[in-house]
Order: sequence, then structure tokens, then C-alpha cells
Amino acid sequence: MKRALCSASIALLGLALVLPGAGRGAQDQDKEVLKLQLPKPMFVGTPKNIRTPNLEPITGRPRGPFLVPLGTVLLSAGKPVTSSDKEPVIGELAFVTDGKKSGEDGYYVELGPGVQWVQVDLGKPQPLAAIVVWHYHSQARVYRDVIVQVSDDKDFISGVTTLFNNDHDNTSGLGIGKDKEYIETFEGKLVDAKGVKARFIRLYSGGNTSNDMNHYVEVEVFGIPAK
Amino acid sequence: MTKKAFRGLFFCALLGALLFRTVRLDLRPMHHDEANQALKFGDLLERGEYRYDPKDHHGPSLYYLTLPVARLTAGRSLAATTETTLRIVPALFGTGLLLIFLLLLGGLARETVVSAAFLAAISPALTYYSRFYIQEMLLVFFLAGLIASGWRYLQTRSGWWAAAAGLAAGLMYATKETSLILFGALAGAAAIDRILRPKAVRHEPRNPAAVLAHGAIFLVSAFVPAWLLFTSFLRNPKGLAESVHAFGTYLGRAGEAGVHAQAWFYYIKTLLYSRFGHGPVWSDAFIVALAVAGSIFAFGSEPGKDGHPRLVRFIFFFTLLAAAAYSLIPYKTPWNALPFYLGLVLLAGNGAGMIWRASKFLVIKVLILAVMAPGILNLASQDYRANFVDYANPTNPYVYAQTSTDFLKLVRAVEGIAAVHPEHERMLIKVVAPPDETWPLPWYLRNFERVGYWTDMAQAGDLREAPIVITSAGFADEAARRLEGGTQSAFYGLRPEVVLSLYVRQDLWDAFLKSPKSSS
Repeated sequence: MKRALCSASIALLGLALVLPGAGRGAQDQDKEVLKLQLPKPMFVGTPKNIRTPNLEPITGRPRGPFLVPLGTVLLSAGKPVTSSDKEPVIGELAFVTDGKKSGEDGYYVELGPGVQWVQVDLGKPQPLAAIVVWHYHSQARVYRDVIVQVSDDKDFISGVTTLFNNDHDNTSGLGIGKDKEYIETFEGKLVDAKGVKARFIRLYSGGNTSNDMNHYVEVEVFGIPAK
Repeated sequence: MTKKAFRGLFFCALLGALLFRTVRLDLRPMHHDEANQALKFGDLLERGEYRYDPKDHHGPSLYYLTLPVARLTAGRSLAATTETTLRIVPALFGTGLLLIFLLLLGGLARETVVSAAFLAAISPALTYYSRFYIQEMLLVFFLAGLIASGWRYLQTRSGWWAAAAGLAAGLMYATKETSLILFGALAGAAAIDRILRPKAVRHEPRNPAAVLAHGAIFLVSAFVPAWLLFTSFLRNPKGLAESVHAFGTYLGRAGEAGVHAQAWFYYIKTLLYSRFGHGPVWSDAFIVALAVAGSIFAFGSEPGKDGHPRLVRFIFFFTLLAAAAYSLIPYKTPWNALPFYLGLVLLAGNGAGMIWRASKFLVIKVLILAVMAPGILNLASQDYRANFVDYANPTNPYVYAQTSTDFLKLVRAVEGIAAVHPEHERMLIKVVAPPDETWPLPWYLRNFERVGYWTDMAQAGDLREAPIVITSAGFADEAARRLEGGTQSAFYGLRPEVVLSLYVRQDLWDAFLKSPKSSS
């Protein structure tokens, strides 16, 4: 009896497994897998070799107007700059706030490879409206893991606010950011500071699509001067 | 120089050349042109199909010569081949070039041959393009073969050397259509050599029947390999005729150089002094200076006890004519300098050899070596830097439209995402980019079964059906709009100024970040 029950169960299980397939087989017997012919890559001869600067943006439209509170001024002009790389490869840290934004050689500071930061000291906490950064705009390239943080703590241990983070795989170890990467242009990247009050502004990056180095032509911090 | 010393030194040069050319062939990302050649070779490897393309890709010899190497190491699958499988072919020809120098003994003194071998071994240009899967090094090898066989024929009047010269000429033609420039320079140098020879020697009696027979042997030996290769071993009978029609295409391209137009002094300037931005100085001035000395010595009375001034003078005139022709053509790329660079290396070998023979005294020879040592060390150091450090750095003058190392991060990301996708290498990938911003993607995505390439966003269909979309920067905004969010995007450098955008379905990206591949 036990053996009969067992055999019946196996038979039923077999039917259950086979029947749906058999039904589908019957439905699909006049069909086949759609084989898509995907387009092959087109050949073109040796591409252009580029070693010269290009001041034109590759893509995107001009940035629209960005509204700030009345009385907003440039706070960062000539302010002291420190960095994780004490001895820049090219240029000087003072270039970051010297007001010169040319894309040519002699206007940017180059920091070593990997994750590096520059920090601007505004002297005292002030309400910030916008931060604009120009990494290197004489060539279409993308800087990796760009993070903009502000704080009143010069070591960025406490009271840190992250305003921008496009480190999508946490290379820098400061958390995954949801902001988008962008191609450097002469317009710079504008980060909305949303009125946050801070004294120090720290900007991280982790190399770029052309090499592993980090560059800054200029950083501008706008806000309402503290009275 | 004794035979024993010559053998020892030549072996050292050969070993050095082999090491510089074959170690870490996978280091440099595939260049746009290499990837094109690789995919064309893939048709031959996997389906036995080769059809001469009169518009691009150059001659068939590279593909057919790669076939045995690939079959031995990777079977019949392009996916199983690697950068090393392909690049080992020009690397072996680049090393074999030194062996061709041995055939010039008798025309060139032992000191000249061994010096030229050392200079070729540590030449940054010859090494760089020996590690590059394009036709150039094969062309240089066959050119050297033609010069050496021609020289041997003149010495022996043997039909075998006429056949060898013919074979080399035929393979030159089957390698690159622009070999015609080199045939012209060789013919010009031969004509000048004849004019400069004393009348009595010029009109020495010869057997006209033998000359005719050897001429016929030369032509048949040249025609047969070119005919077989261009016609895909008779499967494409039009191939050879198409190669002749291709002259029009290449002539037009040479004149309308477009983005490759350079001033007439581009090659000589590149050889003498190159510095880009804050990069280091690159210079082959040591070779050029020795070549100038070697050229002057060629017109002296003392060619070395085992040398012959006629061959050195012939090489001088060939180098001069070839350099002039390539310099006058507006279309210039650094690898096009290699054929006349070969002449420079041989002349530099002559210069070094003659200086070495300047005195019999060992002390003087040691002093000569001490004076030349900085030049040799600088060349060797540049060779190392060009091929093992700055192999993709635009400040390297031999780096031309080279794929950035950053591009490999995109490849690793795609491979990592495929590892977490249920369909793995069967997952759909859509690439939307103009052709000059597409390569070498097809090489790196050769393992993936469903990759579509479009040059127009409108034709690419619904991007949302593909877990991975790769676009040129010009299509990035539109791609983001069509994908309607739900993706992680990242930019990767393809070449200087050229950026690609990668879009990955968010759930896959998150899974990728959790996978061990994301940290590798």
C-alpha cells in the first residue's frame, strides 16, 4: 500500500512537471527564439591625436542663472589654502583663490595621484550661497570622486556638511554619493551651498579620466559676509 | 673586431631587443587601430574569411602571419586571443629585424652591424611599434629583407637571392600599399649609386640572359605572394586589382591629410626634440648625430676592412629620399617614420663603428665608449620609459591617439557588472557613439554575445531594455533623458579630450558594489 501511494505520488509529481511544459511546448512548437542581429561597429581610420588645449565644452548647455540672496559676495578671494598634498607637483596652492581662471599652463595647481583635497579658510563662519570649482578646463575630462564639504572644524572631524558627492563607489571612504559626474568646462561646477554657515570649505577629488593627478584652477565661495 | 667578439655582442643585442619587445605586451591598452586590425583578423581566425579592404586596414600579410600564432595559442576563437597573442607577431618581426642585419655583413663592417643592432634594440621608436599590432614593423622587416637580399644578389649574382629579394618586395606590397614610396626611394638610391660609380665599373660586362632570368625570378617571386595574399588564396580574385585601385584612395588621403596633417619638419623635429607640457624631454638626437657621422664616413675612403662603401652610400641615399618623401606628404603619423628610421639606425651603426675603429689602442676605445655611454644610456632609458612607464602618456611622442589607461576602468566595470548579471556575457549592451569614439570597445567586449553599436541615438531603440548603455559624451545628455533615471552613470576617458559615459541599471550597480570585483 505504502509503495503504491509512493508510486502514485511520484507519477502525479511527474505529470505536474511535464504537463505545463508539454502545454507550453505545444503552444510554442511553431515558434523559435528571436535572433536579433545587432549592428556591428563601424570602422573609421586613425582618430585625431590631441595634445593641444581645447577651450570649448564638449557637451551640455550654458548654465542657467543661479539665484542667491541679496548681498551675496565673493568670500574666498585671496584666502589661505591648505591641501593634503603639501608639495604640489605643479603650481602653488595660492592659485586656488587668486581669481585667475585661465585654462592655460601656469594657472593651475597639480596635486599628487589618488584622493587629495584642498581647503579654503574663510577666516570666520559665514552663510554660504554657492561654491564654484574649476579643476582643469583646457581639456574635456572628468574628475573622479568630487566631494565638497564645509565645516567650522579645520580637521573636518565634527560638524561636517557634505554639499556635493559623486563618489559612486566610495573610493574616498567618505560614503557613496548620489551626485552625477560631470565634464569640466570653462563654466566650472557650481555647488549649491544652501545657506549653510561655515568657515572651512574642503574639496576632494580622486584623479581624472586623463590621468591620476588632481588639479585646481580656481575655487570661488560666495556668501553673505559675516558682520 | 674578432668574429668571437662580434658573435657575443650581437647575441647580447638580440637578447636585449627580444626582452624590450616581448615582455608585458599586455601593458598598453589596445589602440583604436590595433582593435580594428584585431577584429578584422577575428573574421579570418573564426570563419576563415578575409577580404581585402581597399579603403582601410592596409594589406593582408599581418592577418595571415598572425594566424599560426593565434591557432597555436588560442585555437579558433577571437575571444580566446589576448593582446599578447596579436602583438607577439610584430614583436617577433621587430626582433627578427636584427637578424636581417647579419645579411648585410660584407657590405657593412662587423662594428657597423653590431652597433646598428644595439641601437635598434634600444630604439624607443622601433621598440614601441614592435609592440603595436599594426603593419609597420612587418613593412620595416621586409624592407630590410629586400635591401639585404638585393645586396647579397649583387655580390653573388645568384638566382636564389633574386628570389629572396622578390619575396621581400612582394611581402612589402602585401603589407602596406604605401610600400610604393619605398620602392621609389630604393629605385632612386640605386639610380644615384649607378650615376656615382666610375664609368668603367658601371659598364662591366654581364650575361644578359642571366640578368633577364634573374629579373623574371624577382618579378615572379614578388608577384606570387602578393597575388595569393590579396586574393585571399584565390577566393577573392579581385583582391589584387583592388590593391592597385587603392592607390587612388591612399594618394588622396596623403594629400588631404585632415586631422593628421603636419608640417614637413614634423619627423625630424620629433626625432631631435619632443616635449609636451610638463613632460620629460624625448630625443633620438644620439642616433641622428651618429647617422650624420656615418653618412659622412660613407663618402670617405675607409669603409672598414670588412665593409663596402657602396652599400653604406646606397643606404644613405635611400634614407634621404624616403625621409624627403614622407616629410613632403602632409599626412603624418609617428609610425610612418619607421622605414627611413631603419636607414638612420644603419647609418648610425656605421658612424659608431667608424668611431670605434678610430684607434687600435684599448685605452682610446674605452674613452670612446665612455663618451658614447651617456647617449646609449639615455636611449635605453627612453626606451624603457616609452614602453613600460609612459606607454599611454600623451607626452610620449610615440603615443598617438592612444587609448587612455582610464578606459580599462570602464572595461573592468562592465566585466564586474556582467559577473553579477544573471545572463553574464549574454546581457545586452548598447553602445551609441560615433565610430571614432567607439574603438577599441569592440575588442574589449569581444567576449560579450549581445553588443549593438549605433552611431545615432534615434536608431538605438529603447535604451531601457539594456542593463548597460555606453555612449559618447555627445550623446550623454540624451541617453540620460531616455533612460529616465534608475541608472548609475560614470564617465571614463577614452583618449585625451574624448570621454565615454557608462549607464548601469541601479540594482546591478548596487550588486556590483557589493561584489568582490568592484574592489579589484
